[in-house]
Amino acid sequence: MRDSGAGPLPAPRDVGTPQNPAADRLGRDPSHAPDGTAPNRTRQQARDKMTIAARAASVLAAALCIVTAPAGAQDEGAEIYEANCAPCHQSDGVGEPPAFPELAGNEGLADAALIIQRVHYGLEAMPAFPDFGAEEIAAVASYIRSSWENDFGTLSEDEAEELLASVEPPGGGASQSIWDGVYTEEQASGARLIYQGACAACHGTRMNGAPDSADMSPAPPLAGTAFMRHWQGSTVGSLYEFTRVSMPISNPGQFSDQQYIDIIAYMLSYHGAPAGDEPLEPDLEALNDIRIEPEETDDQE
Amino acid sequence: MTRKPKTIGTRKDKDDIELSGLSRREFFASGAAVGAGVAAFGGPAAAQDAPQDAAEIEWDYEADIVVLGAGCTGLPAAIRARDLGASVLVIDQNFDAGGRMLHSGAWVSLGGGDAIQQRDAAGDPDAEGFIEVDPLVSPEALDDSVDLLFRDVTDWSVLDEQGYGYYRFNNPDQHRGWAENCPPTREFLMENYCRFARIDGTHFGGGVSRARASSVFLTLGDETDIEAGTISQEDAGVADPERSSAMCPRQLSVSADRVSVNAVHGGGAMARCLEYSARQKGVQFMFNRHMDEMIQDASGRVIGVRASYTPREDPESGERLESFWSNGNVDERAETITIKANRAVIVGTGGHAGNPMFRSQFHPRMNEPYYPTSGWALLGGEGRAADGSGIMAGMKIGASLDGLHQNFGRRTYHIQTRLGTRDAYTDMYPGHPTFPFRGSAGFNIGGAGFEHLIAVNQVGQRFFNEMALPDEAVEPRYPGGQEFGVPNSWDEHNVGDWRNCSIDWVREMYHYTHGVDAALQINEGSEAPEYYSGPIWAIFDSAAVERGDFPIREPFISTTNGQFFEADTIEELARKIEQGNEFQRMPLSHLAETVEQWNRQVDEGEDPEFERHEDEAPMHRIDEPPYYAASIMVIWHDSYGGLRLNRFCQVLDMAGQPIPGLFAGGEASGGGQMHGLGRATVHGYIAGTEAMSDERNPAPT
Repeated sequence: MRDSGAGPLPAPRDVGTPQNPAADRLGRDPSHAPDGTAPNRTRQQARDKMTIAARAASVLAAALCIVTAPAGAQDEGAEIYEANCAPCHQSDGVGEPPAFPELAGNEGLADAALIIQRVHYGLEAMPAFPDFGAEEIAAVASYIRSSWENDFGTLSEDEAEELLASVEPPGGGASQSIWDGVYTEEQASGARLIYQGACAACHGTRMNGAPDSADMSPAPPLAGTAFMRHWQGSTVGSLYEFTRVSMPISNPGQFSDQQYIDIIAYMLSYHGAPAGDEPLEPDLEALNDIRIEPEETDDQE
Repeated sequence: MTRKPKTIGTRKDKDDIELSGLSRREFFASGAAVGAGVAAFGGPAAAQDAPQDAAEIEWDYEADIVVLGAGCTGLPAAIRARDLGASVLVIDQNFDAGGRMLHSGAWVSLGGGDAIQQRDAAGDPDAEGFIEVDPLVSPEALDDSVDLLFRDVTDWSVLDEQGYGYYRFNNPDQHRGWAENCPPTREFLMENYCRFARIDGTHFGGGVSRARASSVFLTLGDETDIEAGTISQEDAGVADPERSSAMCPRQLSVSADRVSVNAVHGGGAMARCLEYSARQKGVQFMFNRHMDEMIQDASGRVIGVRASYTPREDPESGERLESFWSNGNVDERAETITIKANRAVIVGTGGHAGNPMFRSQFHPRMNEPYYPTSGWALLGGEGRAADGSGIMAGMKIGASLDGLHQNFGRRTYHIQTRLGTRDAYTDMYPGHPTFPFRGSAGFNIGGAGFEHLIAVNQVGQRFFNEMALPDEAVEPRYPGGQEFGVPNSWDEHNVGDWRNCSIDWVREMYHYTHGVDAALQINEGSEAPEYYSGPIWAIFDSAAVERGDFPIREPFISTTNGQFFEADTIEELARKIEQGNEFQRMPLSHLAETVEQWNRQVDEGEDPEFERHEDEAPMHRIDEPPYYAASIMVIWHDSYGGLRLNRFCQVLDMAGQPIPGLFAGGEASGGGQMHGLGRATVHGYIAGTEAMSDERNPAPT
């Protein structure tokens, strides 16, 4: 069951310990993601699910300061990169073109706004990392702009913050939005049980991030205002890809692509987006053509 | 007035379920003494100095094994003793079986190379072919042994996120026995209709170096048939999202990730399977019966109990609540009875988390009676649920205690994100007979939902950053790493290595927010001598209801149970709270001023007192009537600290000697920092085994 849906990417995850970075253990073997090293769900994990990597990286960076030599943004950037980016773009930045572009020698990195757009909103196969703040983005952007003989300069936290506030989503070019009836009623209702079985333990039956299981801690909401705050401007493609490669957090990629997209349809229906005549298909190109945005676009700034 | 003692049958066939009642009335004039007459904490002398005025005990019932509590310790103990040929009577203060297991998540963390670890390591399916997913963890993570398990659960070097030595204080002898009995207990549970999902991690306290936890499941079918492994959608509670069943107070969860999309797991699935097996094997149950004291003979041997009638009535109809199944029930309604245990008494009465006097021995601020234990409505509310009675009865006959400070490891008391119900640890919907006791399911807003409200104390003042209020530290367990409160991941964790608790690791791991501490502290309204901290309230407006999609309707809230209020002004809201909640002992005199101040702070984008920030979560004015108040609860979930056990689950006296005829386990026992069912099921299995062991517990002549 797992094989049919296993994505090419291990989940964004904890970067491990200073002595033995988890990235080495994770390697690039996608079959590693669902094994014993994949984290179980916990209160703490759910508490900060989408920012675990960021949190762990910053904590670890602090620990490194204590344990080893003086460290700075470059070390933090390296940690973030190894945990979240290297699985596709590789530790040496060569990527796996064409799906995962090389970063070593990539002239596009000169454009800081482009990096921030990609990281924040995702694009095509690249999942969005909407919870990375300016500090994390600055660190990882500086790292890739100055590694592997790249020399595009560093990016300060202030610059990153400014760009984060202004960068437009790639979804701006998408021709549809979630309010255009992009899934079917049948597709959404068909995913109810699998959502409840795989997602509700942490995200809650009502998708508000209130765990169904008393042993879990609150997770990010998957519908409603808080969900929209995170995902506004991104595309259904990014949401799908993020979900497919990182959820369920104990065993990412466990379900088939069809099951993942059905779950997305169920989420959209719960959010109140209307059903239409055609189901969502697990086709990244088509999904990237669907914006996630609040209902009354006219009222939005 | 005297009556014949009724003998609980010993034959294993079903026909024997009806009481034989064959024995003539007997007097056991063996120098029996009522436990209450024995000096508390009598120590080694207690047994020898049993009172001289030997009372003649008139017994109303007798059985080989008397089990106190039909929960997660009691049911396995009863079944095991029955398997070994005993007649068994289980008494429980509640009207139904299952105890707290019934509302659990059915996680059973065992290990030591148990049958489910072996199955998943081999990649095999379950025998019945229900499991459709591949193993969730690698074979290496399932490569376990009793020795490794024992070392894991006594590993001094593991600190939790608060720097507490999580496994350090576990009683070694008790845990050696526990570890050795994990593999046989897994098989025992499987033989008694427990079907286990794929192993996924460990449950809290199950060690950090291997994956050991699995949940009990049933599959959805047209009808409920425990032997076939099926349960109907209605019984499972998945047919209607707002309906529980009499079988499962908490709706079961779909097991799509660990079994199949047609499977469900949860406490109902586990508790009912064990109960079904117990009844089938001829274990007898006497519900509505609370053990009040233990009875010893002159030698100090525990020979029985005295128990009182504690029925529960439906608040509306007044009818007595009845157990879900009834075959094997002994319907005894006499006010007080004595029950003779020919071989042993096994204590599975649960912990003390529902007893404010007992628990405030460890945390003085938890003397507040408003704050319940989990499963409050299910188990019977104040004075019944987790009332510490098994522990206190043991203390009266000289038992020693263990692990009392382990309450301060996490998992004991915390703030819930489910608002508007006193029974806030878990949800429950109409359809279960105890729903009326809580009156509302409550509505769970998660951590994110706290942005829409302010939290105030009994005088209407804020006391903490609401966004951090429900935050908790995590217990150290497999697979390790930051998210699991362990410095190293499982394959890098060296058991007993001092580096696990070096200062660098402590710095890195440390995570603790003090929301619950702030909530419990003395405030302006706390008065001598109790200094109760009082209720805490979520205050919000209609705009918050809209933004947060709060379900302000039945069954999520009730307008009559004192946990939810609505008013057009803040002043009126404060009055309604004061009038409508019995633990709100004073006016919320600061509430109006607090809301005004909050609104000013929202306008300024700053919260200097408690440092809520816009970049953490938006801050919202509270200014659109109607206004609402919903209770925020502190729940003391499970407790640690109780009767001291050896590896055979015998209760030890102050000299470290077993008290003859007395066994215990689960939350009634102390010395183990382990949450959940793994601890109790194994204790029950051990107690049932050893109580019937000629070596450990020879039958009295």
